[in-house]
Amino acid sequence: MNNSSNLPGLGRAVLAILLCGALAQSASAAIPVGNSNVQIGGFFSQGYLYDNASNFPTEDKGGTFDFREMAFNVSTTYGAHLRVGAQAFAQRFGNIGEDKVVLDWAVADYNFSSAFGVRLGRVKYPKGLYGEALDLDIVRPFIFLPNAVYNPVLRDFASAVNGASIYGSVNAGKSSFDYKLFYGKIPMSPDKGVAEFYNNFGAYSNAAGGVGALKMDYAAGGQLVWNTPISGLKAVYSRSWFSNLQSDGPFIAYPAANMHSNIPKFTWDTISAEYATGNWTFASEWQRTGGTISYGAVPFTPIIVSAVGWDAWYVSAARRINDKLELGAYYADLKPRYPGGGGSAANRQNDLDASIRYDVSEHLTCKLEIHWIDGNYQFFNTPRISNPTLPNSSTVIAVKTTFSF
Amino acid sequence: MKTTTFRRLCALALVAFACTCALAAPALIANKNVAAEKLDAATLKSVFLGKKVAWDGAGRITLAVLKGGPVAEDFLKGAVDMNVSAFNNHWRRLAMTGGGTAPKSFEKDEDLRKFVAETPGAIGFVDSASVDASVAVLTPAP
Repeated sequence: MNNSSNLPGLGRAVLAILLCGALAQSASAAIPVGNSNVQIGGFFSQGYLYDNASNFPTEDKGGTFDFREMAFNVSTTYGAHLRVGAQAFAQRFGNIGEDKVVLDWAVADYNFSSAFGVRLGRVKYPKGLYGEALDLDIVRPFIFLPNAVYNPVLRDFASAVNGASIYGSVNAGKSSFDYKLFYGKIPMSPDKGVAEFYNNFGAYSNAAGGVGALKMDYAAGGQLVWNTPISGLKAVYSRSWFSNLQSDGPFIAYPAANMHSNIPKFTWDTISAEYATGNWTFASEWQRTGGTISYGAVPFTPIIVSAVGWDAWYVSAARRINDKLELGAYYADLKPRYPGGGGSAANRQNDLDASIRYDVSEHLTCKLEIHWIDGNYQFFNTPRISNPTLPNSSTVIAVKTTFSF
Repeated sequence: MKTTTFRRLCALALVAFACTCALAAPALIANKNVAAEKLDAATLKSVFLGKKVAWDGAGRITLAVLKGGPVAEDFLKGAVDMNVSAFNNHWRRLAMTGGGTAPKSFEKDEDLRKFVAETPGAIGFVDSASVDASVAVLTPAP
């Protein structure tokens, strides 16, 4: 089932050697190789994550250095319209990722015109303002994007699809519209972060290994960006869905029996706006997810059908103080749709964040941020993220240093 | 006497420096094979944001940008309505997510001009005082 793009140990070694080679060069945002049109780029980050009361968003109670990411990409062009490239990526996020090198994206991109292009291969999954750039913390003051809309536990699962996308941009007077449509497969396996949702569900026996198989038919969707006539203001609508999201694993009450679940269609709708003016950037997004799940361990249980999904929103502000310093803050709200959110701590997750970014140089960035979290909705209690008791509130501190080239 | 002369020289240097700053203005330059391309403000914005990647008859577009400074700030504000930081972030996003080939960036106007002169399809900007006959100077239609 683990048919994703995990590379063997040799791949990890090659990535490390290439990274070292790249770091040894005089670097810019993307490095041309000699006089050719080959470019390389990437980043390496190491952080420290601390939670005073729970393991959120991953295994970090009392503090952990298991918080790092690295990426390396190569791209080149052929003729006037064709570009090819790929990026390898590895992360350690608590017990998720385990530093395994995976193929983050790999595209053959043919741009017929500014209004129409095609990408084939492993293409990024457009969702909201920042869905395609989840890992790229060097473009923002925050270490974590708001968990309510961009859950980092799902990063290894929902960052790209193996398939195709079409894209383009059309001018309309003083504004313009950018669009993307995509279709593809998302390789799934129990070692990916999405398994936490299933293992937290209460239907699988975590003592017997938790969910054992995950699959879906396809993922599809699109995004429309309106670059408004107002300088710096854009609005975005993103819609995507998973088809036949299925799982199998040992039934919690009788592990010898198989618990099967299926969500015929799980949708993500996100409405976003970003306004950049001077040294300020303001953003806000609202997201609704939803579907109907059927599950059961036949013949030991009947098939149960229920609605699943959540609502999320956030507002954020960031201000560049000078060439070195940037400050940011956001407030995010996450709650289940079924039953209606609010009320108990289990039905809410409110996150107030304050972040500081300091650019030591063009290539080296340090960040510090604090999250004050009220509620524990979507806090996991699984073999990889253990929370036998859940606090009503917690404080998370993150520190991260990123080298990019 | 020496002090007075020194003060006058300093004042003269300051005036010369102020004049230089005042004269610093961006000029849009391109390889000579791009000179015949039709270019308006909207097309220029598409070019520098990576939405248009090929000229109609001059091959693939290669972007060349100055890393920073008042010329870069002036040009990018006028061409793409972004400051240098936002422009760099835009291209980091594209290059790191498989969405485009990042511009070649230069510290010095002379190096950028030389690159544009030697690279078919290249377009960039420099201080107007750095322009010479090796490149085509473009003026986008409004």
